[in-house]
Parts: sequence; C-alpha cells; structure tokens
Amino acid sequence: MAYSELIKNFSRIRAYLRSFYVHGFRHRDEYTAKSARSYDNERRRIESWLGGYMSFGQDESGRRVFLSVDSRAIQDNPLYRAFRTRSFTDRDIMLHFHLLDILDGPESREGLSITGLMDELSERLSDFEDDSMPDESTVRKKLREYASLGLVELRKKGRETIYRRSEDRTDLASWDAAAAFFQEAAPLGVIGSFLRDRMPERFQKFRFKHHYILNALDSEILYDLFAAIRESRMVTLTVHKRQQITVLPFRIYIGTQTGRQYLLACSMAGRHGGTRRPGQSTGPAPGASAASPTGQSAGPAPGAPAASPTGQSAGPAPGAPAASSSGPAADPPPHIRFTFYRTDLIDNVKTGEKTDPPEDLSEELDAFTSHVWGVAGSNAAPLQHIEMTVLAGPEEDFIVQRLEREKRCGTVEKLDGSRWRFSADVYDALEMLPWLRTFTGRIADLQCTDRRVIDRFRADFDALAGMYDMNSTGAIGNSTGATGPHTGEPDPGGADTVTTDGDMTDALS
Amino acid sequence: MLFHEIYGSYYQAVAAILGEAVHGTLTEKKLNALVQEHAFGESLLSIPDGLKGERWRLLRSDLSTPLQKEPSMPLTLLEKRWMKTLLQDPRIRLFEPDMTGLEDVEPLFSAETVVYYDRYADGDDYRDPGYIRHFRTILRALRENRELAVCFESRMHTRLRLVVTPSRLEYSEKDDRFRLIASGRRRRWTINLSSITQCEPRNLEKAGDLEVTNKNTQKDPPKASVTFELHDRRNALERVLLHFSHLEKETKRLDENRYLVTLKYDRQDQTEMVIRILSFGPVIRVTEPESFIILLRDRIERQGLLFK
Repeated sequence: MAYSELIKNFSRIRAYLRSFYVHGFRHRDEYTAKSARSYDNERRRIESWLGGYMSFGQDESGRRVFLSVDSRAIQDNPLYRAFRTRSFTDRDIMLHFHLLDILDGPESREGLSITGLMDELSERLSDFEDDSMPDESTVRKKLREYASLGLVELRKKGRETIYRRSEDRTDLASWDAAAAFFQEAAPLGVIGSFLRDRMPERFQKFRFKHHYILNALDSEILYDLFAAIRESRMVTLTVHKRQQITVLPFRIYIGTQTGRQYLLACSMAGRHGGTRRPGQSTGPAPGASAASPTGQSAGPAPGAPAASPTGQSAGPAPGAPAASSSGPAADPPPHIRFTFYRTDLIDNVKTGEKTDPPEDLSEELDAFTSHVWGVAGSNAAPLQHIEMTVLAGPEEDFIVQRLEREKRCGTVEKLDGSRWRFSADVYDALEMLPWLRTFTGRIADLQCTDRRVIDRFRADFDALAGMYDMNSTGAIGNSTGATGPHTGEPDPGGADTVTTDGDMTDALS
Repeated sequence: MLFHEIYGSYYQAVAAILGEAVHGTLTEKKLNALVQEHAFGESLLSIPDGLKGERWRLLRSDLSTPLQKEPSMPLTLLEKRWMKTLLQDPRIRLFEPDMTGLEDVEPLFSAETVVYYDRYADGDDYRDPGYIRHFRTILRALRENRELAVCFESRMHTRLRLVVTPSRLEYSEKDDRFRLIASGRRRRWTINLSSITQCEPRNLEKAGDLEVTNKNTQKDPPKASVTFELHDRRNALERVLLHFSHLEKETKRLDENRYLVTLKYDRQDQTEMVIRILSFGPVIRVTEPESFIILLRDRIERQGLLFK
C-alpha cells in the first residue's frame, strides 16, 4: 500500500510518539515491535506532522530521532497534531463539504429529504468529469453518522426523514480564552484544540509550567473510560496487546509530578468479607501479594520493567493480570478490591454491560483513597504507619508550608521550636520514599511499621552519599526522635534564593 | 468519536481553500500556501492532487467550486460535551463563556471522577471575587495590550506597587496557581495572582511600542542545564524520563543499564531541580555542573550529620 501521511488507527502511532518523546535514545534497529519499514514509515509521518519539534542525534551506534519540547515555552500541545491525521476516502471528503453546504442553503432551512439532497448533489457533481453519484444508502449512512456526531439533525415528516444542519446557539468567541486554557489544563484537552481550530482569533497568552503534554496520547482511552464510568459499565482492558482485564472503572488519577495517568477500578470478584481497616488482622505483607498491575509487589516478569509508579517496589510486568482479583490471599479478601492501572499501558478499552455498583462502594472507596499516598497500595493489605520528623528553624516557615501543602494525607504537628512531625497511615509507605527524600538534609527521624521503608531509605542514602564521595554513618530509626545537629545555616535552596521578586511559590527547601 | 477526519488538518486545509474559491480569489500559489499553513510537511504531495485532480470533486479545474458558502461546521456533540464538562470546573469562573445551547448537553465526566493526586493543597482560590476580578483585568490587559498598575505583597512580605507590561499568564498544574509574567522598571516580574491586592488597567499602549518593550525586557531568562548519569534499576529509566519529560532534554545510552541525560531548565527553578533529583535517590548521579553538585552535597552532608 502506498505511503500516506494519514493513518486509520491512532493506536498505531501512539507507541512511536511516546518513545520519541520520552526515551529518545533509541536507534532504528531497536524498534523491534514491527518491521524496519514500519519504523521508517511512522518516523516519516511523525516528522511530517511535528517537523519543528524533531531533533536528531548521531553517535557511534547510529542516528537517533527524538522529540524535544520545553512545554513551558509553548502554548499549544504539539502532540494534538497527531489527532488531526485520520485518513478518509475520496467519497468521505466529497460528501462532507457538499452535504454541509447544501444543508446550509436558504432553501434548506426547514430541512431536506434524501431525494432533495440527492438531486442537489447530482447537480453539483455534474460539473465534474466523473459525475457518478454515490448510492442513496451511502449518503443516508453518512448523514446518520453526522447526526451521531451532532452535525445534522434528523426528524420524521410522515414516513420521510428530513435532514437539517444543526444550529449553533453558543457564542464561540466568548470561549476563546477558556478554550486556550483548558485545552492544556483539562482532561481530553485535544477537544478544546478542535474547538480553537474554529476560532479566527485565538487567545495566545497562556503558558504552562510542570506541563506533561504526553498525557494527550491517552485521550482515546480516557474518553472510553469516562463513558464507562458515567454509565457504570464494566470494561475489558487490553494491556500490552495481550492481557485482558475486566474491571469496573471509578476514577482517573492524574499525576502533576509524574507525567502519568491512572485508572482506579475494582474487580467484582470475591464479593465476600470486608475491607480491612486499621487495627484489623493483617493480611499478606505488602509486597508479598500480587496486589496491583501498577506493581506494588511481586517481582517483574523476566525482561519486563517493573511498573510501580514510584518504582520503589518491583512489580509484575506492566498490565499483568489483575492479580487483585485472582491472586492468592491469606485472609478473607475485602468486599471490593481497588486497583490502579496506568492508562498509557492500556491499548484498548472494550465497554461491557452496565453493572450496579456495590451499595457500600462510596464508603469503601473513601476509606481506601484516604489512605493512598499516590497510586499504589491495595486495600487487601494492612495499613502502615509512618512518621518523619523534620528540622525547621523559626525562620524556616517555608519548610512547614511545604509539609502542609505537599502532604496528601496524614497530619503535621509541631514538636518544639525546630522540629515538626509528619505522620500518616497509608497502604504502601514505600511509595512515599521519593517525597521523603526531598527533605534530605532535614530529616531528624524516620519511623515506619514496615521496616523495609527505613532500610530502603537508609541504604539509598548511603549509596547516594557514596556516589558523591561522601561517607554517611550513624543510624536512622531511633524510636524517640533522634535529633541530630542542624547546621543552622540558611537553606541554600530556601525561600531566599528564589530569583524573581514577585515569585513566592518556588520557595522550596 | 475523538479520532475522526472531520477534525483533521486535511479537512481544515480544504475548508480554507474552498473558502477562497467561494469568493473567487483562489490561486495556485494561495492553494499551496493554505496547505502549508493548515496541514503537514508532506501534505503538498496529496491535497492539491486530491482537489485539482477532481478526485474529491470540490474544486473545478479553473479553481472555482460548486459550494455556495464558505465551509463551516456546526459544533459537534463531542465539543459541546467537553464545554459542558468545563462548566463544573471552579476555574471556569475566571472566564465568562456563553452557556447558551449547552443546557441539555451531558458532560463527558463529572468533576469528582478526576483526581489530581499529587497536586499541592494550597492552590489559588478561584471562588474569591477579588481574585476573579484581578484575573479578568489581566486577561483584558493582555488582549488589549494595556499596561497594568498592580499592588502585591512580595515574598518578603513587603507591599509593592508597580506599573507593568503584562506578557502572559502562566499556570502551574502542580501548584494549581496562576502567575503573571510581566515587565516593568527594566526587569522581568513573576507575580502570583493570589498575592495581588489591586490591579487596574492603564493607558492603551500602541501595539508596536509594546512589541518593542516585550522584545527588550520580557525575554525569558537564560536556561541552565544539568547532566546526570541514570542507572536503570527499579524502573528508573521510565520514571525519571517521564518525570522530566516536560523539559527540553537529550538522552544517550552509555551501556545496557546506564544513560546520560541532559536537561535544560529555567535558572530560577534550580532549587526545585535539586529537590526533584534528590527524590530519585541513588539512581541519578549528577556529573555537571559542579555548582549543582555542591548543592546536592550540602544537603547530603547535612543529612549525614543528622544520621550520626
């Protein structure tokens, strides 16, 4: 088949776009999922769509192609262009422009029957050498499709169907700034970009910091999931082109710091027993039971990357079978078991039957989410208690502010003039390690009921110190607030190092 | 359906071309220019052929068209549903969009369906009437190229009054905050909208003058860069590259498990970068610049003392 810069299925290009954007170090021969010719075609397409953002590198192994974008410097997500590449037939485009134009005529105000439409179309096509007409059924089919898209309205007049162009009553110009903002700041923002395509004047004065444009590539998946959530339908997810998982979807979790999006869902199997609450008997140790496709626990499949959102605990291959529903559980399983799935690993969503959500779902969901730090953990596991004591002098309010605004659950309390304690009960404390490390230099004490958290933190710190030729000695984990000496020096990266006079929010420790 | 040809660039380009043809102003040159403006790098190989070769039967050989009107398309149901969804978002109060025609439209999802799980808790208050008023004043000033007189409290808790030329509004998804990027007194200002206590439009600037001002004083500050070696264990490659994916970067493979990553970032965000790199622990070893390594060492040293 001849090369075209347009494509029929978006999923075909998704993996390439992602790899060019996220990885960018691969050479042609490392794209082994499909043939080298497929790679050449997809690379050529992406270059055609996103030419200005493509970069090339050369090293001893060959040429690398990658997408390099500083998302803070742009106002429109360039990846949205990939959603404007759907292929079509000669007949599709011919009917699109002629039908909408015919239905926009003054004599079509009250609508036209199929006969009227066909007559008008025939007259127009007679201008061309090829004046062959499409079948009436083809035109009807296109009109029905356009009715489902909202472009055309159908009404019955006796036995006849009358077709009318849909009317726009919304003042689109009043949406220009809102569309410019939300196309980047709301889920399914690509739809906002379609909306902006219609606007002759486009507001162009928004910019976005900490902006993960890659999430756009999951838009089709998200659209299907939102539809299923709204209608309370089961979905069968195809993950990594092979595994199929059937779950009831509830929420979409979006990371503003990780660049990832997740589906929170539950399997409907094992509806007996109850969700474990703090103080209840402990089940399998977290990390011992296969708890989640996002990889909270068991080891990865050979050669597969661990899929934990934080990577703190090695997990099964991304999208491994929904072990929450099928894995062994020592204790009676909870009534409903919640699981997170990375949306970028979902290849397809097949919507299934409507399902009545369990009566106590809302209660169970709140109980679960109030003890989840991010997107890891299983309500089949017991809660873990964690405490971190942080040093912050009287002039270092910004540290306390950081604790308050960055904690996602738990509490912050003042111990004395220079020590503050954060404490929380979470399903997976290992997931908190990256955040805990951001307080490096100020952590006076760290306690957790899961000893692995302390061990991992300490081992990582020792390794880190070693990497910069520094020794670290001493022990962490003294039970009663092991407070080491604080240098008392101003934090080199503290509030007073923020450069712009007016900027108060970059004050990070 | 989200991935559909009616939203495609080819349809956009053809609509623009037919718009010219309806008015009888289409030329070969204009046709090619419109393809380049609305479609992709290689679209010149296919769109003119589809149109002029009469395959699509929209354009006659003399570049006229049987169409009566400039092509237009009603809002699709998908677009209306997305707009209706936004009406649930508290940030929509900052804008004043027309809601006519959306009354019977179902949103795509409800607000509680989406959770920004790691967003900071002290974001801007989009319900505050004063905040909304300031936002709209800034928006209008940006549209009309006006100067602004702003009063705000600096991070040192001093009150400042300035006349600035607004450049743009920047939103941080992580902080859930808007900042005004502006210039005044020969420098660039980043002002949190939540810290603004007064905001009034000033005289209308001449657009040309403002452009000159913008060029001279609103240049983005120079970028800094940091290079580190990334050891791919515990899925670090994926985590790190995704985490920093919003920055301009280049990654090279050193061997099976090691990569060299160079990131470019705004110099004023150095502290944030130090913290973010520390959050990954020992899978990242910064190799340059030395000044960045010193900042890391300082924190590690202090933590080492606390461990003793």
